[in-house]
Amino acid sequence: MLAKSTETSIVASSLEPAPRKLAWRARFDRRSRTGWAFALPGLLVLAIVMGFPLVYSAILSFSSYTLMRPALLPLVGFDNFVSVMSDPAFWAATWLTVKYSIITVMGEFVIGLGIALMLNRTVKTRPLYFALLTIPMAMSPVSVALIWRMLLQPNLGIVNHLLNQIGLPAMDWLGSPELAFWSMAAIDIWQQMSFVILILAAGLASLPRDPYEAAEIDGARLWQQFWYITLPMLRPVAAITVVIQLINELRTYDLPYVLTKGGPGTSTEVLSFFAYRKAFLGLSLNEGSSAAFILLLIILTMTVVFFWLLERRR
Amino acid sequence: MAIKRTLLMVVSTVTLLSAAVQAQAQDVVLRALMEDVPETHIIEAMLPEFEKQTGIKVEFEKIGYSDMHDKLVSQLIAPQSYYNLLEVDFLWAGEFPTAGWLTNLQPLVDESKYDMGAFIPSTVDLLGNSSKGLYAVPMYNYSMGLIYRKDLLKDAKLAAAYQQANGKPLEAPKTLDEYVNISKFMKQKADVAGAAMQGQRGDPNSMEFSNYLFAAGGAYRDGKGEVILDNAAGKKALGLYLDNIRNGSQQGALSATLDDTMRLMCSGKAFSTVTYWWMLPQLDNAEKCPAVAGKLELTTMPGGHGESGGWGWGIPKNVSEQEQKAAWTFIQWVQSKPVATARALQGHAPVRADVYQDPQVLAKYPYYKAAAEIVASAKSFPIFAYSAQYEDVLGAQLSTVAGGQGTPDAALKAAADGLTKLLKK
Repeated sequence: MLAKSTETSIVASSLEPAPRKLAWRARFDRRSRTGWAFALPGLLVLAIVMGFPLVYSAILSFSSYTLMRPALLPLVGFDNFVSVMSDPAFWAATWLTVKYSIITVMGEFVIGLGIALMLNRTVKTRPLYFALLTIPMAMSPVSVALIWRMLLQPNLGIVNHLLNQIGLPAMDWLGSPELAFWSMAAIDIWQQMSFVILILAAGLASLPRDPYEAAEIDGARLWQQFWYITLPMLRPVAAITVVIQLINELRTYDLPYVLTKGGPGTSTEVLSFFAYRKAFLGLSLNEGSSAAFILLLIILTMTVVFFWLLERRR
Repeated sequence: MAIKRTLLMVVSTVTLLSAAVQAQAQDVVLRALMEDVPETHIIEAMLPEFEKQTGIKVEFEKIGYSDMHDKLVSQLIAPQSYYNLLEVDFLWAGEFPTAGWLTNLQPLVDESKYDMGAFIPSTVDLLGNSSKGLYAVPMYNYSMGLIYRKDLLKDAKLAAAYQQANGKPLEAPKTLDEYVNISKFMKQKADVAGAAMQGQRGDPNSMEFSNYLFAAGGAYRDGKGEVILDNAAGKKALGLYLDNIRNGSQQGALSATLDDTMRLMCSGKAFSTVTYWWMLPQLDNAEKCPAVAGKLELTTMPGGHGESGGWGWGIPKNVSEQEQKAAWTFIQWVQSKPVATARALQGHAPVRADVYQDPQVLAKYPYYKAAAEIVASAKSFPIFAYSAQYEDVLGAQLSTVAGGQGTPDAALKAAADGLTKLLKK
């Protein structure tokens, strides 16, 4: 009896977890193992190239490491964050970064959408336009900044020369604290816009034709079709575009470094440039890392908030 | 049989490896990150001669000054530096040895009996060398002076207008006030910028302002090391600097660098520039700058003192002993009397006293007499571990107030406080 009951319980116990085991096995079957095996080298490279610097930077931001005293210990808790955040230049740079990112992303999106809509109606020469549009995108931001620095040179640059030719006064594009910010934003929009155009144009091309045909039959005007059909249907693509560009812009470093070195004064000092100053001019890699982590936090927060707003509207 | 085969493979691999290491040892390649300026080009043209004499190959990577510090630091903190020969700016001469990145050259000097006495003492001191160690051998000097257009000073119409407005003749300025006054006058009357100024935040504007500070009788620190930047002389210097950048300089001065000022002077669209004295042969060149060639004069900064500056040769700690020895061989060669004289004949800014007195050099470049005075009278920017950061602190304050934000007194106080704070760091 006892033997039977033991046998029964053994059988029962061996049967009970079977569904979980099976599910796990199903999830990690041979096919999926092959998939992981293929992905593993890539993941390892990512872990080394991205994960290690990120972790190292996180450790630095809590350590007393400076280039003058290159030792991770002692750890100093949040002291570096407090030191960075008690610097008025940090708050000025943070505000400037947010303002800069919003302005450039809005500019890129509005102009980019307009051009994408125009290209959507062009059929024959569209490939040519796309080819031309990829030129700024293919250029490195440093090259773009150097080219524009020459073009905007106030005394010998071509832009002021052309303005003079049509009777307009020469402008101090990068030397005026008021204009430098807008000049930098305009250059950024010029370069980044092509990416936005390409993504939005691809999104527009993939929209179904039926709703438009129905709207035309119902007598909807073009702007009504745009407002009530195009925009809502384009929203997922537009959202991704905005998020990618927002992340790009929040990280902007090359343009202020080459164009203005953060000046005049601090009128173009964005947060990434502030972090660079702390790390390489101040020789405080720990404080530079803290500033970089704060920037990362801002990027993550803005991305999450953006997606949350998007989901809520949906 | 298998053991024999394995043994043979191991032996042949070891032989091959040792042969490769030996071959590498014979082929030391010196790599230096150099500022893309005429001095570098002069030396570069002479490198085949060094290679022929020693068998050591030297490669120069040339970039703009503003990118050099970061690029060097990232190599100096690495386990092994890619650059095994260093061009060290005097502004880094406090930082690099303090951080322990440079080899002490004194033992190499002693061993090779190298004559350091040939160098002008101020050029050796400028690089932070002391009894504690010799970390950089002077390479060339870049003290700053004033380059101006003598043809505009001689222009009869301008001279008459200046006489009428100021009650004195239009002639080369002797004081800082006179210089700023003439600069503003030229902008109003001569259809040129009175001064081609390099007002970009950081190294350009802090170096330029230092000339105004020293010319006005000011200083960063007194004899006891106390910060006195914001005293009366400092305030006067900042006032005149702001007056000139707002009313005498070219449009866009606040974003201009050394290159911009050179282009402007070269084009004939500026009366003067406060710059490195060895820029004169670049500008006074009929091929490159026909608009101003033969019309320029070099002098000490009005007021008597300008900003001192200089580069040195250093050797990183994080390279092999063999590379260090090869680098030292190069340094001895490039700073020797014959090579330094040959460089000077092509426009090099000497650091050896005997080259300034060389009859051949003086015959070709009579203005080297003025250059020697500029070098002798120049004063130095504060040299300490955070000099590069202080340039940025000062540069940000100058740029902010020049852009119309804040008051000069507040900017000067912030700059002085910034220096005090960094000196205590």
